[in-house]
Amino acid sequence: MKRTLTVCPYCGVGCTFYLVSDKGRLVGVEPSATHPVSRGGLCVKGWNAYAFVHHPDRLTTPLVRRDGLLCPASWDEALNLVIEKLQAIQAKHGRDAVMFASSAKATNEENFLLMKLARAVFGTNNIDHCARLCHSSTVTGLAETFGSGAMTNSISCLDQTEVILVIGSNTTEQHPLIGSRILNAVRNGVRLIVADNRRIRLARHAELHLRHKNGSDVALLNGIMHVIISEGLTDRDFIAARTENYDALAKSVAEWTPERSADATGLKADEIIATARLFAGAERAMIVYSMGITQHSHGVDNVRCIASLAMLTGNVGRTGTGVNPLRGQNNVQGGCDMGALPDLYSGYQKVSDQKIRDKFARAWGVDELPESPGLPLTRAMDAASAGHLQGMFIMGENPMLSDPDQGHARKVLENLELLVVQDIFLTETAALADIVLPAACYAEKEGTFTNTERRVQRLHKAVAPPGTARADWEIICDLAERAGYPGMRYNNTAEIMNEAAALTPIYGGITDDRLDQHGLQWPCPDSSHPGTPILHLDHFTRGRGRFSPVTHRLPAELPDEQYPFVLTTGRTYFHWHTGSMTRRTHLLHREEPRSFIELHPDDAARIGVRDRDKLLVISRRGQVHTEARVTAMVIPGVVFMPFHFAEGAANALTNNILDPESSIPEFKVCAVSVEKLL
Amino acid sequence: MIKLTSDQLDQFITSLAEMWEVRLPILLSDGTRIIGSLKDGPLALLGGAILSKPTAAFFPQHGTVFIATEDGVPESTDSLQPIFILGFTPRDLACLRFIDRFFADGFCDDLYFHQRKSAVVAGISGYCGPYGSLLAPAGGDCDLEFFWEGSSWLVIPYSSAGKALVAEFTDSAPPEAENRYRQAVMTPPDENERFLRRASELLRGNSVPDSFWVEIGDRCIACTGCNLACPTCTCFGVQDWRSAKRVERSRMWDSCQLDGFMREASGHNPLGSEAERSRRRIHHKLAADPEKWGEISCFLCGRCDAVCPTGIGIIAVARELVTRFG
Ligand code: SF4
Ligand code: SF4
Ligand code: SF4
Repeated sequence: MKRTLTVCPYCGVGCTFYLVSDKGRLVGVEPSATHPVSRGGLCVKGWNAYAFVHHPDRLTTPLVRRDGLLCPASWDEALNLVIEKLQAIQAKHGRDAVMFASSAKATNEENFLLMKLARAVFGTNNIDHCARLCHSSTVTGLAETFGSGAMTNSISCLDQTEVILVIGSNTTEQHPLIGSRILNAVRNGVRLIVADNRRIRLARHAELHLRHKNGSDVALLNGIMHVIISEGLTDRDFIAARTENYDALAKSVAEWTPERSADATGLKADEIIATARLFAGAERAMIVYSMGITQHSHGVDNVRCIASLAMLTGNVGRTGTGVNPLRGQNNVQGGCDMGALPDLYSGYQKVSDQKIRDKFARAWGVDELPESPGLPLTRAMDAASAGHLQGMFIMGENPMLSDPDQGHARKVLENLELLVVQDIFLTETAALADIVLPAACYAEKEGTFTNTERRVQRLHKAVAPPGTARADWEIICDLAERAGYPGMRYNNTAEIMNEAAALTPIYGGITDDRLDQHGLQWPCPDSSHPGTPILHLDHFTRGRGRFSPVTHRLPAELPDEQYPFVLTTGRTYFHWHTGSMTRRTHLLHREEPRSFIELHPDDAARIGVRDRDKLLVISRRGQVHTEARVTAMVIPGVVFMPFHFAEGAANALTNNILDPESSIPEFKVCAVSVEKLL
Repeated sequence: MIKLTSDQLDQFITSLAEMWEVRLPILLSDGTRIIGSLKDGPLALLGGAILSKPTAAFFPQHGTVFIATEDGVPESTDSLQPIFILGFTPRDLACLRFIDRFFADGFCDDLYFHQRKSAVVAGISGYCGPYGSLLAPAGGDCDLEFFWEGSSWLVIPYSSAGKALVAEFTDSAPPEAENRYRQAVMTPPDENERFLRRASELLRGNSVPDSFWVEIGDRCIACTGCNLACPTCTCFGVQDWRSAKRVERSRMWDSCQLDGFMREASGHNPLGSEAERSRRRIHHKLAADPEKWGEISCFLCGRCDAVCPTGIGIIAVARELVTRFG
């Protein structure tokens, strides 16, 4: 029996646990008794995180497509082919004809290396990852208002606040060990406001549950701010001392009377007034949000409103306050921190800045680095169908299920000249690839993940990867070597982190040996710095916090006669994203074995549907078969589907309309019709 | 009664390694105590119950049932090294006794007894609970017991296997030490025990309204930790992994807090709400098991309360229940 301390591979809460192994096989999980976040507990996914690792479907050898079929190949053949083809595409169509998709499931070190490979070896800024699909609106919105697009406070602040506003986050299901903390806080007297029209578990414990219309967050938040200003509940000292542009905000929300806000949100004016008073009346209040805020064609505007609400009430820079976007993936924070983004290097350093480019070029031993920002992932599909993009290298992502408008995604991926997928299972995307590279999973490698509260934590190798599978970082280094680049030779992941730390001020003091125990929260600029639990203490990262007023825009596609329902998409508690790991975990799969759609009992009665009936759901983009779940969880007129299931894929329906600034797709609102299958 | 200094205990443990696979409480890098091998961390006997249940040695979270290939099911050729396991608190030993009986009832669960049969189980008690608190001795339910009397260990062998292990030592415990042990045996039941018994009475008397379970169910995030951490929870699921010419059947800990636990193929579920599942979890231990086995099957080891992220482990629920209903 061996115990290996590591970090949960699922959500951004970042619980740690021990993997228990016996003769090279994992046989279970034991929680860490001392971890500051998980505190001896785990959620059901963490308790089962060992269970997919030895699944017989794991990829064990490289695959190369021959006569239409993926056939086993040697690493030499597969990797040489990758390089040869990527270089050929670049020679023929230009450097930016290839794109690298990194992964929020991979380590910081691997994200750093893939962006280095894209930029230093292939000379393109076409590097992005699935943060584009979840919190790109946060990164853009908070960078503008606060100067840093990360959770401002720590998870432990939930124990030290008075009021928590949860908006657009089903916390007990998607960040369970933060959700449970909120439940405990409420037991201890904290007052909870939930703004989400699904009747999520937290809503059962909320003093106010606001079931506003999908996509009406700006109207709601502007209405709340209007009341706070008109009733004189603002924190004037904070506004004067720490912020700018207040007058513009006050002017813009002046027209958002509670009545107007009620009209736009479907709420009662009283609910908006009560929310404003409760939130602004607290000495310390926290805002917690997630995809319900970000995944809109006006996601950045939603984030701006949240930032304004926090500043208006002086709830930034203190314990028990703050703007707290919960990052979804185990390492989506790290993927962003490490610069797997088309316009930023690690530490949010701009590629458009000549000095920064020079710094990286010097460190990496190249003459120059590309200057113009690359393609966001969500624009890659269109770029490819327009012929600008010919080759894609995808590490640990499954856009066939996770991207909007699946039909379009499939066509584009199939038509690429080269699709390389590096993953642990033959995902729906890997099945379309020309070359598949088998990777080690989290339990089979070293490195670090950064959780939602910016805590950088180490994972440790518990067992060997199956067959000839290799860690992502080893594969990337090998590719660089074969491309003729000598600057990616590392003996271990610690050396990669050292390089990243030297180039990334917010990670400056992060070294592996300092991360044992419970990691460090960035910014951690030097080797004696203890880490930073709370951001913007005395001043905002950008100096003064900026109020950015916004105007209310409706979602891009609203219901009409032909498509009478609003479809909103998300996840379930038991599955993770495209299900490649959780659907191969017995207990998790048993809980949610198939695709379903939540439908309000009134709607169900109206269209003659009963629980568990087979349904056909149709949007302008596609149609899927699924099963009815008749429940008052949703409001009438709104249906909800999780996107985990390849059969009955919600993303065959969703709308690939993007926020103009963050390029996030509007996963939360599109119009569908629902028919009973006879 | 044998007295051992800490050094003598270390030597004793070292001497066991030849015959036995020795497992005992150790401290890991992040401060977590587990039952493991001295190769992986320093000995950490003091501090009370280990967060992860010690019964996992015999009933692991995940265990292979069989592997079938084209040639049938090959007999395992692994030579079995017997386990010496130290670290069961008296409450853990009561749990072990309970599941020993459960796994032997009717038909004998071979997988469970595979390691269990030949294992030597050592209890740990005395002033080694959290912050030096007293764990009242088990006085049995194990092969031998180690009692920490504050500065040295008293060793009390019970079974023949236990006696054989310490045969070389002479009875060396001074009378004061033996006295302390005897006093410890007399420790009256603690408050939690009284709450649990009263909760059991209330449940069996049907005095708890359904609305209570709705409240508790609303707070359960279905993490399954309470079941997975509990030494007397014995439910498991079974999975088959099929690949070309090979089937691997294994079983893994299951949880009655999951909707799928009782869901029928039709979709109907006799435990279809969180309230019903939360009620069942407590009711099973405090009302159903006493009917079947003649005793409450919660021995207050404290694990479900320690792992439950929302504070509704059995002790918390029993206290709330008794406070509100009687
Ligand atoms: S809460 Fe998140 S990090 Fe913690 S165990 Fe669950 S999935 Fe893993
Ligand atoms: S305290 Fe909880 S974990 Fe321990 S025996 Fe009782 S029910 Fe099981
Ligand atoms: S440990 Fe608590 S939250 Fe988890 S399943 Fe049990 S009762 Fe529910």
